[in-house]
Amino acid sequence: MVEPVEQPQYLTFRLGTETYALEILHIKEIIEYGGLTEVPLMPRFLRGVINLRGAVVPVIDLAVRFGRPATTIGKRSCIVIVEVQYGDDWHDLGVIVDAVDEVLDLPPEAIEPAPAFGAQLRAEFIRGMGKISGRFVIVLALEHVLSIDEMAELAGSSESLHPES
Amino acid sequence: MNLEAAKLVFYEESYELLAAMEAALLAVENAAGPERGEHLNAMFRAAHTIKGSAGLFGLNDIVAFTHLCESVLDKAREGELAITTPLIELLFTCRDHIGSMVDAVRCGVEAPDSGALGTQLKSYLVDSAPVVPTPAAAAMVVKQEQTGPRVEVESGGDHVVSSDHWHISLRFGVDVLRNGMDPISFIRYLASLGRIVYLTTLYDGLPNPEEMDPESCYLGFEIEFQAAPNVDKLTIENVFEFIRDDSKVRILPPHAHIAEYIRLIKDMPEGMSRLGEILVRGGALTPMELDEVLGIQRENAGAGEHRPLGTLLVEERLAPPQAVAAALDKQREHAAQKTREHRVVRVDATRLDALIDLVGELVISGAAAQLSASRSGDSALIETIASLGELVERIRDEALSLRMVPVGEIFSRFPRVVRDASRELGKDIQLELAGEETELDKSMVDKLADPLVHLVRNAIDHGIEGSDARRNLGKADYGTVWLNAYHESGSVVIEVGDDGGGMDRQRIRNRAVERGLIQADEVLNDQQVLQLVFEPGFSTAETVTNLSGRGVGMDVVKRNIEALKGNIEIDSVAGEGTIVRLRVPLTLAIIDGFRVGVGQVSFVIPLDMVLECLDLPTDRGSSQQHYLNLRGEVLPYLPLRELFEVDAPAPARQSVVVVQYGSQRAGLVVDNLEGELQAVIKPLGQLFRGVRGLAGSTILGSGAVALILDVPDLINRAAKNERRKVALIAAREARHPAMREEDRP
Repeated sequence: MVEPVEQPQYLTFRLGTETYALEILHIKEIIEYGGLTEVPLMPRFLRGVINLRGAVVPVIDLAVRFGRPATTIGKRSCIVIVEVQYGDDWHDLGVIVDAVDEVLDLPPEAIEPAPAFGAQLRAEFIRGMGKISGRFVIVLALEHVLSIDEMAELAGSSESLHPES
Repeated sequence: MNLEAAKLVFYEESYELLAAMEAALLAVENAAGPERGEHLNAMFRAAHTIKGSAGLFGLNDIVAFTHLCESVLDKAREGELAITTPLIELLFTCRDHIGSMVDAVRCGVEAPDSGALGTQLKSYLVDSAPVVPTPAAAAMVVKQEQTGPRVEVESGGDHVVSSDHWHISLRFGVDVLRNGMDPISFIRYLASLGRIVYLTTLYDGLPNPEEMDPESCYLGFEIEFQAAPNVDKLTIENVFEFIRDDSKVRILPPHAHIAEYIRLIKDMPEGMSRLGEILVRGGALTPMELDEVLGIQRENAGAGEHRPLGTLLVEERLAPPQAVAAALDKQREHAAQKTREHRVVRVDATRLDALIDLVGELVISGAAAQLSASRSGDSALIETIASLGELVERIRDEALSLRMVPVGEIFSRFPRVVRDASRELGKDIQLELAGEETELDKSMVDKLADPLVHLVRNAIDHGIEGSDARRNLGKADYGTVWLNAYHESGSVVIEVGDDGGGMDRQRIRNRAVERGLIQADEVLNDQQVLQLVFEPGFSTAETVTNLSGRGVGMDVVKRNIEALKGNIEIDSVAGEGTIVRLRVPLTLAIIDGFRVGVGQVSFVIPLDMVLECLDLPTDRGSSQQHYLNLRGEVLPYLPLRELFEVDAPAPARQSVVVVQYGSQRAGLVVDNLEGELQAVIKPLGQLFRGVRGLAGSTILGSGAVALILDVPDLINRAAKNERRKVALIAAREARHPAMREEDRP
């Protein structure tokens, strides 16, 4: 019996006018946007927390994290729940996207290395450029995009319970 | 139950028993006379149980070593070994050694070498062994040979001393001859099982010649019998089987056998509760003898007096007193075991956590149901849901209480800590414990132990003065260190106090300046100065001792306590002593909360900290000053809107929630009061680890997430910020006296 070749699948989604892809292995589920509770004094990329069946899950605005204007919530806005490893544990994080498009197969040879510049994105955020019917989409490197250490540091430093400092 | 799970129980049990051993050792050290015996017994039992359990898992190292300890302890409790300080010291070390052996098994590493300690223990066994073995000493010998074949014990040969013979008392019944039995044939048969060393014929029973019936038997015999190997009491008894009914036969075993019985009785598995049964199993009593003595007991009872079986057995010379004593011990052990089983059910902590998680979900769904019910307006439904809610609340409290353990669990290790530390430093220290019954979350207990040990050692090392210094100050020669625990508004407070020299503020300041922790001219209040000792790298000890003063520790203590959402206060009076007060929340799982709203955001305040609520007065004067008059007292307040930068405009009417934490009181200004709720605390997670002023989050009945306020952090932060602000303004004023605060950029 021949083992089926593991064909990586990707979810494409839109942020503003751009399309990004994320390996589907990281994704737990996609839910409608809603029920968000803001956490005061957090940087703008940390939109707040939601109740995901009894667990409190932080929600991140990827657009802000990418240095774009904050996402405005529309009819097709979704929260993509992804799993991120931190230490020995897996943490759930929500990511706000403007719309999810489709799930597609991308063989490794269809992913080009990231360009030196031009994507308007921090280089380590890009795993590669996926070629889909003649267009390129940015395949995100989730471990850098949602690095808990980096984000927690930003969250910690932005707290301003010191009105004078 | 698989082997791993069983092993976990073994570890747990061993630690408990080791703790018991330690407590007993400490007690032996301080007790005298008969009390000592009881503690020695307790120690012996603990060692014995560990040995038994370790044997089940084939942990031979532990078995061998605990066996040695047990032997020494046995000798000590029999009074053959004087309890000396070196012996106690050795036993302490041995206890620790057993602990590290158990640890080694648990971690799967190689067990520490017990050779040296073993030799020391053996020296106690050999040194004082008397030449002629007394029964108990013989027991020791037998026990040492436990690993060898058992036959050794019984193979006596001609080398044995005279006491190594069976003693058989025969009183033939009057009708023996008439029943066709010849006494001499029994004695001959007995001789086939060994050698009759000595025989005395007793003819006291003979009546006057004229009254004598030639067909009656009046004789008795006392026989010293040297049994062949493998002949036990039952075999000997069988010799006299046919005459048992109407004759009196008493078979007393040789001393070596008594020791053997004792050993067998002690090594018996748990589960037997009846004295006779234990003795029969151990071979010290035959079933027929048991029947006989039970018959006597019944007769006595019929005659209106109840006599314990053990006493009867000894009086009737059916069983050697030593064996009866051992069996009674066994019985007590069994009884103790039984009561323990009734009191305690061991439950895996993860299952308990799972239960509490589920109860948390239940609380949340309950709140949701309550919300929908009140919306529906169906009064019957509302009523049902309300009574359901009450049940849920009770289940929650019960579930949470499962995790609560008395703080005494940590305190119990301190007698040892104090003892060791005071030995090492040559200070005479007395430890006082109070509030051991105060309960707190089990997970908290585990995390508090190390910080407390550190604080106690610190108190002994740096707090308590040397005895000369104490005498000069007119204090008692011995220093006192105390631990005290109590509940206070939703927190558990644990105090570590000493009656030592107190903290020298000037020295702390100097040191902090020296270490660059503060500026030389920085203005600090008393508490702030004292808190400097918790800064990393701070240590004022002039001499670095083995115990403390290495500059690590106090900052770790503070970090550990803060990780538990707790805080530390220091009270110190120069010359009188220091109290370090740890305050930690009661539980980490579910709290009663009070919900407030600011703009669109809901916050939950732990209800235990809420004192009262009032309207924010509109005529409070200057908006720069955040305090109001609460029945004549000054109450500082924090506007949550400003603090959390909530955008929505303030409503015309705002409320103040008065909160108390420790000795501090403050008001929190909020838009509206939304009532009480049960809040299941959900941690905010790693991403929010830097967040201040929030203790976590909780899910409301509506499904929305609310944030739980970290009141202590808010109060402390506000106080700190204000000091900084005032200092800043003062500094600016000094430079530009004309600039008013309102003009600041």
